[in-house]
This record gives sequence, C-alpha cells and structure tokens, in this order.
Amino acid sequence: MTTLWDTSGTAVVQALAAERRSGGAVTSGLALTLVVVLAEKDTTDVEAAVSTASARHPMRVIMVMRHNIDAPVPRLDAEVSIGGRHGPGESVVLRMFGRLALHAESVTLPLLAPDAPVVAWWYSETPHIIAHDPLGVFAERRITNVIRDADPAASLLQRANDYAPGDTDLTWTVITPWRAALASAFDTASAPATSVVVSGNPADPSAQLLAGWLSSRLGFEVPVEKAHGKYISSVSLQFEDGRNVQMTNEGYKLLMRRPGQADTIAPFPQRSTGDMLAEELRRLDADGPYGEALGAVSGQTGLNERPASRTHIWHDPALAAREG
Amino acid sequence: MSSIDDHSPAISAGDGPQLPRGLRSNPLRDPSDRRLPRVPEPCALVVFGVTGDLARKKLLPATYDLANRGLLPADFVLLGFARRDWEDDDFETLARKSAKEHARTDWNEDVWARLSGDIKFIPGSFDDDQAFDTLAETLDDLRDSHGIKGNAAFYLSIPPSMFPVVLKQMQRTRMADNAVSGGWRRVVIEKPFGNDLASARQLNALVDDVFTAQDVFRIDHYLGKETVQNLMALRFANQLFEPVWNSHYVDSVQITMAEDGGIAGRATFYDATGAARDVLQNHLLQLLALTAMEEPVEFTAEAIRTEKIKVLRAITLPLDLGSYAVRGQYDQGWLAGERVLAYRSEKNVPPDSKTESFAAVRLGIDTRRWAGVPFYVRTGKRLPRRVTEIAVLFKKAPHLPFSHTDTEELGHNQLVIRVQPDEGVTLKFGSKVPGSMMEVRDVAMDFLYGEAFTESSPEAYERLILDVLLGDATLFPRNEEVEASWQVIDPLEAFWSGQEPQLYRAGEWGPKASEEMLAKDGRGWRRP
Repeated sequence: MTTLWDTSGTAVVQALAAERRSGGAVTSGLALTLVVVLAEKDTTDVEAAVSTASARHPMRVIMVMRHNIDAPVPRLDAEVSIGGRHGPGESVVLRMFGRLALHAESVTLPLLAPDAPVVAWWYSETPHIIAHDPLGVFAERRITNVIRDADPAASLLQRANDYAPGDTDLTWTVITPWRAALASAFDTASAPATSVVVSGNPADPSAQLLAGWLSSRLGFEVPVEKAHGKYISSVSLQFEDGRNVQMTNEGYKLLMRRPGQADTIAPFPQRSTGDMLAEELRRLDADGPYGEALGAVSGQTGLNERPASRTHIWHDPALAAREG
Repeated sequence: MSSIDDHSPAISAGDGPQLPRGLRSNPLRDPSDRRLPRVPEPCALVVFGVTGDLARKKLLPATYDLANRGLLPADFVLLGFARRDWEDDDFETLARKSAKEHARTDWNEDVWARLSGDIKFIPGSFDDDQAFDTLAETLDDLRDSHGIKGNAAFYLSIPPSMFPVVLKQMQRTRMADNAVSGGWRRVVIEKPFGNDLASARQLNALVDDVFTAQDVFRIDHYLGKETVQNLMALRFANQLFEPVWNSHYVDSVQITMAEDGGIAGRATFYDATGAARDVLQNHLLQLLALTAMEEPVEFTAEAIRTEKIKVLRAITLPLDLGSYAVRGQYDQGWLAGERVLAYRSEKNVPPDSKTESFAAVRLGIDTRRWAGVPFYVRTGKRLPRRVTEIAVLFKKAPHLPFSHTDTEELGHNQLVIRVQPDEGVTLKFGSKVPGSMMEVRDVAMDFLYGEAFTESSPEAYERLILDVLLGDATLFPRNEEVEASWQVIDPLEAFWSGQEPQLYRAGEWGPKASEEMLAKDGRGWRRP
C-alpha cells in the first residue's frame, strides 16, 4: 500500500502504476471501475461491501471522500493498494479538501481503467440532481441509496424526477428475493390475478417499488397498505379462479400460505450491502423494470425513454447556501 | 396483461427449454428483468441409490445449496429410494449430515428446516414391485398434498447394471409417462453410458423407450463448469478468435486432463473400464467437440447438439495406431513428496492387470475447417498435477524478418483455456526482451477469474440439477453424441485389447511413447 499526503492527481496515477508493476502477478482482467462517493463515517461499511463485491467482479475501486469544501487551501490525500482490505482488486482512496472537492473528476478521470465501464455509487446522500455531481456524469451506471437519506420516500420521488436509464437504487436491489418469490408464485397460477395488496410501511421506498413493479407488470393499481413493520410485511394475491395466496415475511423466512395446501417456507437470504452491490455490478446496462416500477410509484411515464446521458450542471453548494 | 396459457402440461413440456412455460404466461416474468433467478416449476426430485457416495457427496449437498440460494420452487419434494429399513426421519438425518458436511454455501438451519419437511424416503430393493407401487402412489399423493403437479425428475445414482431393472419398474408403474402423470417426468443418468457402442445403444434404446428421448438427461459434470461454458462465449461472442480458428492458422490442438490421484476406492470399476472409457470417451471428446464445432445458429440445446454431433462424427483415427495411440499404466514412484504404489499393487487390482491408467491419441477431424490439424488428446492418473486444459497452438509466422538467433525462444502462439484449476484463459505470444538487443521470447497474458469468484461460482452438479428441473438440456450430451463417441473409442479398444500397457513412473507426464508420438510430428506436449 502507498499512502500519499498532500499530493497531486498525477502522483496518484504514478503510485497506482508502480503498485501494479511491483505487485508481481498483476490482475489484468479488470471488468469495470467503481467510483464510490462516501463520507468518512461510512468507511467501514463501504470497505466491507466493496471487498465482497470485488471478490466477484474484478474491478478498480476509487473511493472519493469530500471534506470541508470551505477549507481555505485545497488538498488531496490518497491511499493506493492492490489486494488489500478492499478485496482482491485495485483500490484508490481519495480524500479531497477545500474547493478541490468540487472538481473531484479532475483527479478521478485519469484513474479510470481504460475503456472499462464506470459505475458511480453514492453510499449516502445522493445528490438532489445527479448532473450536479461530475462523478455521476461520466458513469454509465449510477447507484443510489435513498434509504440513507433523511426522507427516503421524498428522495425516491426525486429519483424519478431526475431519472435517466442507467440509474438504480439499492432499495430496488433489496426486493429481488421478494420479486423472485412472487414471480414463482405466479408460475403456478392457473388464472389471472384480480387484486394484489402489499402490506407494510407505505413510506418505505422498497414497499413502494414492489407495489410499483407489480402495478407496472399486472396493469392494475397495487396499493401499499399500512401494517406493522418498517418495510414489507406481506403480499396477498387474489386470483380470478378464487384461489388466494398470502406471502408473509417472517424474519429471514418467507411463509407462503395457500388454502387447501400445506404452508411452505422459503429462505429469505440475509444479504449484506456487498451482496447487493455485487448484484448491481452483474449487469451494466439500464434496468428497464426498475424504470417502470419507479414510473408507477411516481405516476410518471416514459422514464425509460429519457436520454441516458447527462450533461454536467455547475453547482456550488457554498454559493447555493448563501443564496438560500 | 397476457392471458394465462392453458396448454396441457404434456404438450408444453416438449416446447423446448428456451421459453419455460412461466415466461410465456407469467406477467411478472420479463426477459429484460435479469435479476430474477430461473426457478423450476413445482416438482419432486427422486434419487435412487441415495445412500451412495455420489448422492452423499454431491447430490444432497447440491440440493441444499440450491435451496439456500432460493433456486428451488416453493413446492418441492426430495424423495429417497434405497434398500434400507428406514423412515423419513432416518433419511433426513443422513441428508442433513451429508449436506452439512459437503455443502458449498453457509449452513442455514432455517433453510434446512424448510427442506426437511419435504424429505421422504421409500425403502425397497429394485426388484421389489411393491416398493415401486408405493413410490408411484406417493408421487400421486404429493401432487395434491405438496402441489408438485405431477412433475418429477428421477436421478439414477446407481450402477449401470441396475438400470434395466429400475427402468422396467418405472415402465410397469407408468411413472415415466408424461401423459399419465399430467406433468413432466425426466430421468438423469450418470456415466458410464455403456462400455462400447453396442451396450451404449442398448442402454439408450432402453432409457429412450421408457422415457422420451428429450426427457433423458445424461450428466457430464465437466459441461457444468464455468470455463466450459465460457469457451462458447469466447468463441462465438468475439470477432477476434473465430477468423483464426481453423486449419489455416491452427497448427495443432492439445487437450489434457491430468489427475494426480490414483484410483482410490474405484478399483473394481476402474480396472474393468480404463482411462479411455472412463474419461476419453466422455469428458475429453465433449471438450474436443466444443472446441472444434461450428457455430450453432442459436444458443439452444438443439442447435448446439446438432453441431456437436456433426463434429463428433467427423473424428478420424490415425491409420498408424501403433504410433499414434498410446496407453500407459503407472508404476510405483514419488508424487508430491510421497511414495505411491504401482497400479498393479493397488487394492483390488489384479497383479497382472492390463488396464490403462493413461491414454493419449492423435485424432483428426475431417471437415473443411480442421482438415490436417491434429488433435492430441491425453488423460491419465498419477500425473504430476491435477489439471484440465485445452490448448490451441497456432502456426508460426510464415516469414520472420528477425534473424534466427533473435527468435530462438519464440514458440507457437497459444490460446489456452484452463478448465480446472485456476479457471481462465491464457494467451501466449512473442514479445521483445527489454534491452538494446532485438530478442523475442514468449510471454503469457492471463485472464483469471478472481479467487473468490470461482469459489462462489456454482458447483457443476448444482448447475446441472437446476437445469434438469428447468428442462434446459443445453449442457447435456444426447444419445447420438454418446454413440458417436463410442464409434471413436471402439476401434481404439479393439486395437489395444490384449496389448501390454507401457509403464510410466507415477509423477511423470505419462509413458515415453506419448512424448515420442508428438516428437514424430515435430511437436511436443505443452507442460500444463
């Protein structure tokens, strides 16, 4: 590992090249570059997630931490390592102070793996408008995490307003097991569904996305009804032939209840953020079903027809704060 | 919203694996939704010979792993059949123990609790009519009590000599009949698929008669490996390799499957079989077929099989078998720092055994693409290391502008597909030695799946069982492929029969004749 204090972007590029050359067996199969935007307090969580994900996808990880923008002198500290605590891939940690934080791309761009796709991940505090963050502009895939925002439901709606194909949110990734279970419940259906109700916390973005996804696929409104629990508690399905299915989340199990048949229990895998990040990185094209679900949640249409690329909009938080 | 389709299961079972029934009718399934896993329809997995080695070490753990990854349907039953005086509980204990011991994924008590409720055992021997009647009744009962809809896959984890008895029983009870069951009925069989062409044909006729040909899944666990599937991606998803994948550019192909182990525990079977029948006939010829086949018109089971059969039927043996078909047997020696016994001194092997533990042969493929390119194929036990790889060696450049001494160290350009271990791809090419002199030597460019990536990539059995339950036959050889392979092996066995195998010291790369075989052609084995 190389640690550089008060350094420059060029020195970081050279340090990475030196690590690669002196590292002996070089991992040359880079599939992508992951740019993580995080705050200092999230380091432990992000490191754990990144090391899980980079074990499955060979990648270069660039972690960007922005510190007090109003510091009088801009400064860059960096850490370069290969095969360390961030998993088997290459990793660069960049700490940016002062006005440099607003020009993070000037350090990041030369560090991207040549001609490999770029994924940006905001671990917490998604920018209100992604185009305000230059790191989100050059990324082909953008991963947000609205559950860590102050008002997740409002944040999710803002994701729909600001959506461009290639965006996804981890609150969507969370519900893949639910969606898989529902899809397999429909595999055995012999008649169309007439009504579906999601029960849980109506303000939970995952519950909203699940209902949104069901609405977009089934062609009728699927509501989220208030029930105990912070997230999704259960989903009930009513079919045209009178059959009904009740699926309940019991800790890490999914209980499926059908009249006239023995209850079945399926495991609900306990997935870490790293597992979910790895799921995100499996495919680097736009996630159409997410766009449709998000459209159904927000009542907007044509989300997936929007242009996929963004243009950077200059935004100075110091200036914005002064203007109120 | 699309309407729920009302095909009878018997018809849709034959509609091919590309579009499982759910995809056409299920409004929640969208081909562009790549996050949702492929989950089979409700079904039962019936394992015959459930107390055997394979079942305990591979099948039961793989079933648990599938359950743990959420890839089994909610309505699923595991049925064991064996000659033990057991209740469901006893079987559950055995299954639990073997799953816990050999499972690839973490142990999760909840997952097991769910699975254990759906584990049944039926005691009986294979000639016991009553036991099979009970089995048939149980499957009928499960249709309602567990919602399996008459779907069942039968895994015959039993010696091939028992196949006829078991299959006749299934025929008698009409268990194998899709129409009678109202769902699909599939059968899974393991190698050996016969021990020559005649017996393979007999076996195929029997299985295909009891089940329909498309419901028979022959397991070749090599085809479940990630790299083997990657071979197709490498060849057919890229523009770079296909133009040079022919006799104009390829000098020769070497396929090696080496094991450092002996024949521990399999002596009786192995001594009657030998390396050529055990490995060459199935794994190696399948790898060869995947390397040499033309591009399938689409990535479906049917299209891939068509191409594989074409190339398997075009395989030719050399006229001079004496020089180009070598069989060997290991003598005592040292391997990995330990003294090991000679083949003939192994337990349960007759001291005058003529069975080969090493086979190497030069094959040709009579097609426009491959005419004149030798395919050197070898397999053996007690070789220096366990490795399986396919190496494509390219011709040398027709003219080198460098002086002879500059390029002395330059070999053939090679593309190596490493099947196991260290799954990945290596490209070997010439590069200048840094310095003031113009010297060219070989360097290797490696693509390696990350260590943890290969660890978490599904075990071949897991993938194959899932494919059986899904009805996806892409990775399974069909009857014609098996027969075409025997057509290659039979003349070899006939030539070898009665011959004394050539001895090689354990821990060597086979007998001397194997080196001489390539030396005769001006080539040499690549050291894997």
